[in-house]
Amino acid sequence: MLPDEILEQLNAEFPCREFQLRQLAALYSPQLPSPSLLVAHGLTATGKSSIIKLYLSLSGLAHAVVSSRECITGRHLLERTTSSCLDALDEHYDETNDRRPYVRTENISALAVNLAKMLEGREKFVLVLDGIDRQREMPHTLLPALGRFGELIPNLSIILITTLAQNLALHKPGVPHLYFPPYPRAAVVEILSLNPPKIFLEPPSLDLYPDYTTDVAAEDDAWLWNRFLGAVWESLSKHTGRDLVSFRNTSMRIWRDFVKPVVDGTFGTRDFSRLMVNRKHLFQIDDAVLDRLITSSSTTTQTNGVISVNSSRAAVKRNTIQHSLPYYTTHLLIAAYLASYNPSRTDTTYFMKHTDKRKNKRKVRTDAGVSKSKHRRISRHLLTPSPFPLDRLLAIFRSLLEGPVPQLADLGTQIATLTSLRLLVRVGGVGTGDALDAGAKWRVGFGWEWVRGLGRGVGIEVGEYLVGGVDG
Amino acid sequence: MEHQRSYIYTPPESDERPAKRQKTDKGHPHSLRRERLQTFREIWAEQETRIQACLKTTLEEADEATQENIVRFVAAAAERDQELRASIPTGLIVAGPSIASHGPYFERLGRQVKESTNSAYLVLTSGESPNLKTLLKNLIKKATSLADDDDDDDLGRTTGPSRNGPRLLDFDLGHLQKWQRSINYRTIVVAIQDSEAFDSHVLSELIDLLHAWLDRLPFVLLFGIATSAESFEDRLSSNALRYLEGEKFDVTQSDEIIEELFSTTIASTDVALRVGPNISRRILDRQKDHVQNVQDFFDGLKYAYMSHFYANLTSIFLRDDLAVKNLPPDVFEAVRNLPSFRRWVGGMLEDGRAQDARNALQSDKYLFDQVTQNVTSGQAILNAISGAALVLTRLRQSLQISQKVPLSSIWIKAASGEMLNSPMLREMMLSVKRMSSDKFLQLLGSLQDLEQTYFPIDLDSYQSKLDVMISENDGAVLKTQHDVRNDTLRTTVVAQKVLLSKHKAALSEQDKAYSELVAQFQDELDQYFNTTFIDPKELFLIEILMYDLKSPHTEVFQPKPRFAVERALAAPHDYLGCECCSGEGTRDGEAALFSTQPATAILYQLYVESGSVINAADLWSAFNAMAGGEEEDDESKTMALFQRALAELRYLGLVKPSRKKTDHVAKMMWKGL
Ligand SMILES: Nc1ncnc2c1ncn2[C@@H]1O[C@H](COP(=O)(O)OP(=O)(O)OP(=O)(O)O)[C@@H](O)[C@H]1O
Ligand SMILES: [Mg+2]
Repeated sequence: MLPDEILEQLNAEFPCREFQLRQLAALYSPQLPSPSLLVAHGLTATGKSSIIKLYLSLSGLAHAVVSSRECITGRHLLERTTSSCLDALDEHYDETNDRRPYVRTENISALAVNLAKMLEGREKFVLVLDGIDRQREMPHTLLPALGRFGELIPNLSIILITTLAQNLALHKPGVPHLYFPPYPRAAVVEILSLNPPKIFLEPPSLDLYPDYTTDVAAEDDAWLWNRFLGAVWESLSKHTGRDLVSFRNTSMRIWRDFVKPVVDGTFGTRDFSRLMVNRKHLFQIDDAVLDRLITSSSTTTQTNGVISVNSSRAAVKRNTIQHSLPYYTTHLLIAAYLASYNPSRTDTTYFMKHTDKRKNKRKVRTDAGVSKSKHRRISRHLLTPSPFPLDRLLAIFRSLLEGPVPQLADLGTQIATLTSLRLLVRVGGVGTGDALDAGAKWRVGFGWEWVRGLGRGVGIEVGEYLVGGVDG
Repeated sequence: MEHQRSYIYTPPESDERPAKRQKTDKGHPHSLRRERLQTFREIWAEQETRIQACLKTTLEEADEATQENIVRFVAAAAERDQELRASIPTGLIVAGPSIASHGPYFERLGRQVKESTNSAYLVLTSGESPNLKTLLKNLIKKATSLADDDDDDDLGRTTGPSRNGPRLLDFDLGHLQKWQRSINYRTIVVAIQDSEAFDSHVLSELIDLLHAWLDRLPFVLLFGIATSAESFEDRLSSNALRYLEGEKFDVTQSDEIIEELFSTTIASTDVALRVGPNISRRILDRQKDHVQNVQDFFDGLKYAYMSHFYANLTSIFLRDDLAVKNLPPDVFEAVRNLPSFRRWVGGMLEDGRAQDARNALQSDKYLFDQVTQNVTSGQAILNAISGAALVLTRLRQSLQISQKVPLSSIWIKAASGEMLNSPMLREMMLSVKRMSSDKFLQLLGSLQDLEQTYFPIDLDSYQSKLDVMISENDGAVLKTQHDVRNDTLRTTVVAQKVLLSKHKAALSEQDKAYSELVAQFQDELDQYFNTTFIDPKELFLIEILMYDLKSPHTEVFQPKPRFAVERALAAPHDYLGCECCSGEGTRDGEAALFSTQPATAILYQLYVESGSVINAADLWSAFNAMAGGEEEDDESKTMALFQRALAELRYLGLVKPSRKKTDHVAKMMWKGL
């Protein structure tokens, strides 16, 4: 393909990246010499990986891409680099290289030797190390050494893809950089407008609406989607999750809910402003910008194929069944939470059994353990939990329960089980084999919302026992 | 002592061994042991088959719905286009807090998944996944050993550097890629069995990695979750969440399964040996309070059966192939010593049947006949109680009495003889009295399958009479005179006071006839319950028919180790039973301090009285005052005792040298927690 054709195709597929593409085309063409090292950098989802990969494969240059995400250690990266380069050479020259000399790549110099060996007498070869800044267990010498590879292997060009350019310790001046800036609003909208999703999952029957052809439908889809994107950006993504992928996810999450009245037939496909008023609530709650594992739409569509209006994620959350824990387990967890979040010196005030228990609650909530200064207090439940010894947990546990509880071994078993579920996290004393070593300490591994729910299940308002209350 | 590595302990000589309490009864505790063991095996085998069958059906039923959904989910994931896969399809399986049952669950699930979809199914547990590398190695090993079944040249596959070229490191998912290329599964299901126990960082890394490979390997993730899907989600990094796309599956809770097991075993209408209400309650409470685990339930029941046959000679009468001549005389002696035997003979005497009483006491033959007869009839009576408990539960259900009481509680109440005159029964009978014809129909329907067993009321005749009445009333609902809906409340305002007065609506002829039918039914039902819900404790030979001893069940299933240690130290007399430790002070239950007690016990009691950091010198002087002798040179001996006692407390984990204060020890454990 001619360079111009390549650029044309790339620009069509990846709009708003003309500058970067032109740079790439200038730097990596089969005829002209290429820099031995290039750093391509830019925030997440700015198209670095996709654009460079696609450009190289269209350009007809021999190249290999190694993704650091797939490499567990630095050594792993080296091994994979060797084998990917061999694979790439095999494919590019349509031959089978003798791989026997490349059995091991233990360290960076072995890599240099291997690459030099396999590239000897060949044309230019481009090696892309994608996401090198996130490589696990990377040796310090790796990057500076890579910077010098060009001196040893003249026909090798390396492209390092990273998020930030500053923290790459290359120790080499004059390395060219290629910056992929974040997309502004106009760009994201333009990019996402390339593939508008459908309004009607099942096209309206042609018998009823003979003039609603697929072309008209596609036009409507594009028109509404474009406007919708603008609205999503203004109300949600502008404030958080501005990158392309987050924006796309957010938009896709509420799209079906958004067009529901159109599918129903309540509004026409071009009633954008009325639709906006009607679906205002979608843009006011932040559910859509959160990445959640269980998306409400997936559950609702799974159940009855119809998307319910009330698919706010909060509602879904409320509906989930929580498996009830055994009675004492629940109390142990509540006690653990209180032990983690109350300072131990307030225990006598909150949990002593000498008086009516109810009088203990909240009695000291304004002044207990909190300095009287005018500084704004941070509610306790927002802080990190502090560790507590086992006996304190047991003491609070007993004071929460009305009657006496026998000192059963079952209690110990439960604490061990909760520890293995990481609801209780053991800190210190880890060396000993004893799971309930009196010298060890624990912390809770769950949050306020959950413990409040637990407490309500057994008739305890946990907030009343928490020093400082929970009005924050 | 600190400077020595070890020292040789020479026990004081002379003393004889402390007198042990010896068993004094002359009976042979092992008499007929083999036969009893045999009987146990036979009777338990029946229960066991029942349990297995019940588990199979309930678990499978319970599983079926969710497992089908999961399988469908996996199948749907397989259908997806390779290119369109932006995120890993993820099933969150909320399997409940009884982690012991997760393993079997995932095994069953795996069988289902492999059967119905063309998938590889790989289970990972937290134990084998301390970090990402080990986790991946295990994953690869599991996958490739699947393939090993049909090809055994695993030499080229694994890690050793092959001479042919660069090798794959043994945690490189490239292994999976090769393997997948040769087998070509539609999906590769990776099941994380105990997700909570995984390091959340490792999980997030794993997700990131699997996602990176998603274009080459069709992964599906399943997470087993004990707590809740939300709290699990909160633990993953937001990046990882972005790579997943999930659905949640709820697995039936095990308390429902326990209830089901209870009704097929303990509350069954056909068992040879009953487990009594006290043990049943204990087993159930333990499930509710501490563990939720089918295996524990099973063990508890089995242990009760074993104890019965092991410790009770008369249990031999539960065999049905006995003959007098094969039985040794001490079996009959044992029967004659049963409290219920005494009551029985006493009853005979009251009835003036002196000859029978004499026979029972003197003739083994006569006693044998009586016992075998009464065992059979007693079993029938106990079975009938279970039957009645079942009837009662069904009635409550079909009358829709709002407070839900499970069969297990009703059965326990009935088996402790507390059902008659209980508010629960009374309330139920009242609702029967008031029920309208549609409820009546429902009720008859719900009892249909019970008819043949232990239920004397002729439901069919009621059914046909009711059918006739309803058709005469043109299918409209009939009401009884007691139905509150027949009373209309009249509100009248008289001199600023609201008066509520009841007004009885006139009853139609049909309603009257219907009321009579209901009254008749209620009478019969009342009769039935009154004759069936007897107190089993009054039954002759109940000691053979029912096992309900608290000990050793509690000691075995709910031991109190900490309590035992604390008690031994605070009240050594309870364990040693010797003169020196028992003083007058122990009378009132409170432990008291004596200089004659073991040194460790004395020190422990001083320890209990002190605060959270203890000055060692103070402790020593208190100890010396308590245990020391008058003379000066005694002090070194007392010191030795003190040091040993303190070392023992430290060994028990009660004290630790304190870092905060010199010469102090920290108190680690408080009494009674
Ligand atoms: N200009 C563009 N036009 C169309 N699609 C784009 C454009 N830029 C990015 N994308 C899309 O955005 C997604 C993310 O892009 P890509 O993975 O290349 O980003 P990245 O910069 O490598 O991100 P990261 O730093 O997280 O690796 C891809 O699906 C890509 O197709
Ligand atoms: Mg990238």
